[in-house]
Amino acid sequence: MSAKAIEMNGVRKAFRFFTLEDVSLDLEQGQIMGLVGPNGAGKSTTIRLLMGMLTPDAGSIRLLGHAMPAQQALAKRDVGFVSDDMKLLPQATLAWHMDFVASIYPGWDAAYAAQLLKRFGLHAGQTAKSLSTGEQAKALLLLALARRPRLLVLDEPTSGMDPVARQELLTEFMDVLRDDSRSILFSSHNTVDVERISDRITFIDRGRVVASDSKDDFIERWRTVRLRVPEGMPDWRLPEIVHRDVDGPNVTLTVDGFSDDFLARLGAPVQEVHRMSLEEVFVATVMHSREALEVRP
Amino acid sequence: MNVLTRKLVAKELYLYRWLLVGAGAAGFAGLLTAASGEIGFNIGFIVWLTAIIALGVMLALFGVASERKERSLLFVLSLPLAPGDYVRAKLLGLLACFLLPWAGLSVGALALILVMPGIADGLLPYAVLLCVFLLMNFAFVLCAALHISSEAGMGGVIILTNMSVSLFMMGVGRTSEVGAHMLSPTPVWNAMFWLLLAAEAAFTLLALSLPLFTAARRRDFL
Repeated sequence: MSAKAIEMNGVRKAFRFFTLEDVSLDLEQGQIMGLVGPNGAGKSTTIRLLMGMLTPDAGSIRLLGHAMPAQQALAKRDVGFVSDDMKLLPQATLAWHMDFVASIYPGWDAAYAAQLLKRFGLHAGQTAKSLSTGEQAKALLLLALARRPRLLVLDEPTSGMDPVARQELLTEFMDVLRDDSRSILFSSHNTVDVERISDRITFIDRGRVVASDSKDDFIERWRTVRLRVPEGMPDWRLPEIVHRDVDGPNVTLTVDGFSDDFLARLGAPVQEVHRMSLEEVFVATVMHSREALEVRP
Repeated sequence: MNVLTRKLVAKELYLYRWLLVGAGAAGFAGLLTAASGEIGFNIGFIVWLTAIIALGVMLALFGVASERKERSLLFVLSLPLAPGDYVRAKLLGLLACFLLPWAGLSVGALALILVMPGIADGLLPYAVLLCVFLLMNFAFVLCAALHISSEAGMGGVIILTNMSVSLFMMGVGRTSEVGAHMLSPTPVWNAMFWLLLAAEAAFTLLALSLPLFTAARRRDFL
């Protein structure tokens, strides 16, 4: 099937104190998209809209080519969804959950499930209520991964996990993508995890998508540039400059759209140029977007 | 009924199996106590009645409200189903959980009236109406649980439905058409009995079908 894994166009959803505004997302099959945003940015709302649990006020959503929420039962056959807000049925054992999910999904891979059980250090006989937060998350991921879905939708899947468990999990995600028809949408406020595995990254803040691009483009475009300007600050009007920190003659510029041409237009002696981590890019993007919203009439 | 609905119904029966066994055992213990004499009858009847009411309340609370509160609803909704399928499966599953002990305990109570020499058979119509009223009561609590997400709201519904059992027993017991024949040697199946039974059946069906037209069609299910 050639349809995109995810297509959201101009989606709007209003609540009493929060509005998701004009959200558009595209995810090709075989890609991992990291959805990054601060707490309360709208990541979970976006994902719940995508999964058909909420109905948008405006816009359209397609999941694996199926219109949502109308065709959610059909779409969810090929989707593994895990959220940090999700819990297993407390009275039932993990073995019961595995049998239950296996009986619903024809693609259930029992050998892979057994392998994950061992790798995650879980015991099938444990009841869900006896699992720790991290074990719950691993158990939910086991149930999602072993059904071999075409799309994994993961809402903060690594929250509550120790670094070793997070690393195990990220390795599993990469394993899923060995089959290039499978895709992952992965929301987190942990930019380290997102940077490690994502092909595409979308930043969301206060209910709006503030940037969406490939990870390589983000990393290539953004720089911090340090200069010394003893004669005073020039009147730069360069659109690439997103932020400037001035400490006497020392100036640090945050730049979106860095290039040799930009350096030439800067017209000042540059001391250092640094690549930015995804976290720095994220913070700069969000702050810039907030400033732009504040000055808008 | 599709495969997933069957699995979800089986899920409810599996999850609440010990509750069903417990309520059934308590109810039958009540019936045995009721067979032991006049004082035993009063104590046993209260145990029997409490077992059925508590079963209904706990099924609605654990099966719907706790699933929402403990966040396992999201797990169920991640399965390949629409909200309408979820509501239908939940109604069927919890109804099956209630009907199994309720049917056994109702038949047990009616048999006790027929078999015990000290209890007049005239009590049968009243007992039938009471049993169906308890079913209707459960249907109301379940319907409310599928519509109301606040704990205070559900608390109010439970208090009102529990009170309604006492009011029903008092009210029907005092009617000349049903209550007056309770001590008769033979049961009197008159028009009032059939009218009340039909009303109970209609309200039960209404309470069980309402969520299919309202809760199942909510735009936002979380």
